[in-house]
Amino acid sequence: MTWFVTVNDRTLEVTRDGDAFVVDGVRVPATLVRTPGRAELRLTLDGRAVVLGLDGHSPSGWRVMHQGLLHEVRVEDERTRELRSRAPVPKGAGGPVQLKAPMPGLVVRIAVREGEQVQAGAGLVVLEAMKMENELKAPRAGVVQGIRVNPGQTVEKGAVLLQLGDV
Amino acid sequence: MTPPITRVLVANRGEIAVRIIRACHAEGLEAVAVYSDADRHAPFVALADHAVRLGPAPSAESYLRIDAILAAAKDMGAQAIHPGYGFLSERAPFARAIEEAGLIFVGPPSSAIEAMGDKTAARRLMQAAGVPIVPGAVQPLSDPAEAVEVAQRIGYPVLVKAAAGGGGKGMRVVHDPADLAAAVTSASSEALKSFGDGSVYLERFVERPRHVEIQVLADHQRTVHVGERECSVQRRHQKVVEEAPSVAVDAALRERMGAAAVAAAQAVGYRGAGTCEFLLADTGEFFFLEMNTRIQVEHPVTELVYGVDLVREQLRIAQGLPMTLPHGPLVPNGWAIECRITSEDSANGLLPSSGVIRALTVPEGEGIRWDSGVVEGSEVTLFYDSMLAKLIVHAADRPAAIARMREALDELLIVGVATNVAFQRRLLAHPDFISGAIDIQFLDRHPELLSTSDTAAIPIEVALAAVLLEEEHRQARRNAGEAHAARPSRWGTALE
Repeated sequence: MTWFVTVNDRTLEVTRDGDAFVVDGVRVPATLVRTPGRAELRLTLDGRAVVLGLDGHSPSGWRVMHQGLLHEVRVEDERTRELRSRAPVPKGAGGPVQLKAPMPGLVVRIAVREGEQVQAGAGLVVLEAMKMENELKAPRAGVVQGIRVNPGQTVEKGAVLLQLGDV
Repeated sequence: MTPPITRVLVANRGEIAVRIIRACHAEGLEAVAVYSDADRHAPFVALADHAVRLGPAPSAESYLRIDAILAAAKDMGAQAIHPGYGFLSERAPFARAIEEAGLIFVGPPSSAIEAMGDKTAARRLMQAAGVPIVPGAVQPLSDPAEAVEVAQRIGYPVLVKAAAGGGGKGMRVVHDPADLAAAVTSASSEALKSFGDGSVYLERFVERPRHVEIQVLADHQRTVHVGERECSVQRRHQKVVEEAPSVAVDAALRERMGAAAVAAAQAVGYRGAGTCEFLLADTGEFFFLEMNTRIQVEHPVTELVYGVDLVREQLRIAQGLPMTLPHGPLVPNGWAIECRITSEDSANGLLPSSGVIRALTVPEGEGIRWDSGVVEGSEVTLFYDSMLAKLIVHAADRPAAIARMREALDELLIVGVATNVAFQRRLLAHPDFISGAIDIQFLDRHPELLSTSDTAAIPIEVALAAVLLEEEHRQARRNAGEAHAARPSRWGTALE
């Protein structure tokens, strides 16, 4: 059986072969031990023990922690992959871009005004988190369109702070 | 004569509270923890012999409340208060209030904190004591217009610094005169917010210096230095990795810098543990930056190479006992490195993250030390700084210490909160770090270390673990008599 393992835009084919897997033409024996309810995974890879973490999963797959980084790993067989590839693809992004809070924090300053034209890289909002001020910059040139927050306001991660419209 | 100490209140949280409570126990003293609502279930509270609630989560309503801390000390019958680092540790009014209440502040006299706390006054004092300082103005700026003239005199690049600063807050480097006014304004506003004092001053920015600091220890008879720590790897003026000794310091330089640090401490009548921070230029010149009048985050690297317990020494000195350090020059034994483990996301430009630590596997073995404030189940909030723990290693020499740290970082597993562990792994593998070619601009020159590579292949460990999870999951569903193998997302919450 062949699995299609996808992280971001990269896909790796992994084929089951007895107690091992074939990856890029190399046969790797692998077993996994874990205690139900525990987030720790003990993987034995060709005799080598590796500890990984499992942080549940999201719509984009298993959330596997490895060497300090979280990977969202989608594992599909041929059939589910085929089904997904036929699903309608959302239209490419266009129009206004939203500036979202990359972390929870306190809005310290808003460096722009409604209707102001900004260049890519211009400072837009200063967000304070863990006692550090972080300047959020314009991802592209545009016109500031809907400022949704005020200085002094606490925002959650992912909260929309303002929009950048086309010039 | 002060009464003997039997009980110490620890006016801090997180890993340093744990560290101090353990040292109290080792000295045969009881420890009283104080905590905010956010830390109710924290390990340091459980470890202490007694615990007193201070107030709600925000620091201003809990860990910064001098009145509540003093009341807790009195209620619990603590004779001494250890401030740790951060929070009230370098606030002279706190030390003074403790002194006036007839209690013992585990630290220097309030007068020494005061003398070193005003960075401008401290520079003048150090100059008078013969301690070398960076060229610059010794007066705070009265207005931004004055900055232009002062900067012209000192020469660019200049550093804008908060007079009441510390920890990199209220600091800006200015290369271009056109940027000066904005830098002064923003540094001043940050300083006002962080320290309640917006005054800033200017000094020459020494290019590519190392940050090397000297540990000092003073009891009632003598003031000694306990070698240097190399803290050049910094991000936004915050230390990231520290080591002892420094590749840039030989025995002769150690004695010269040590003598300067001792002179600095003596000039203010210092007692207890303190640290003099210096900029070390590649010419071998060094300049006094400031004295941290408290225990430092990075004290463990000194402890490992000199075989000393600095927190126990603090407690001894506070009791009026002599330090246990031998007389005569100390020789570092081997090499120690510390990595600060923070809740800063390695995959997201090191922005702060929060959450619950669902799994924590700590590296173990010879020469590995883990000073931590968290356990599995701990909630990481945004109320306090981002440091979760410190991973410290000790080995025969620097290459062996780096190798040991890299293995330890590989073994460390934290699930549930994004951390800087992957960033630390990249850092420890960098050729300039490995060769010791580091200075305080090292991370500025290598922004690629701050982000993950988009082009990286999927690690085989990750791919196979996910496939094995998927197989196990589908098998479980088949066993459960499900008609069709379903997508894992519907099953996911069962894992929680």
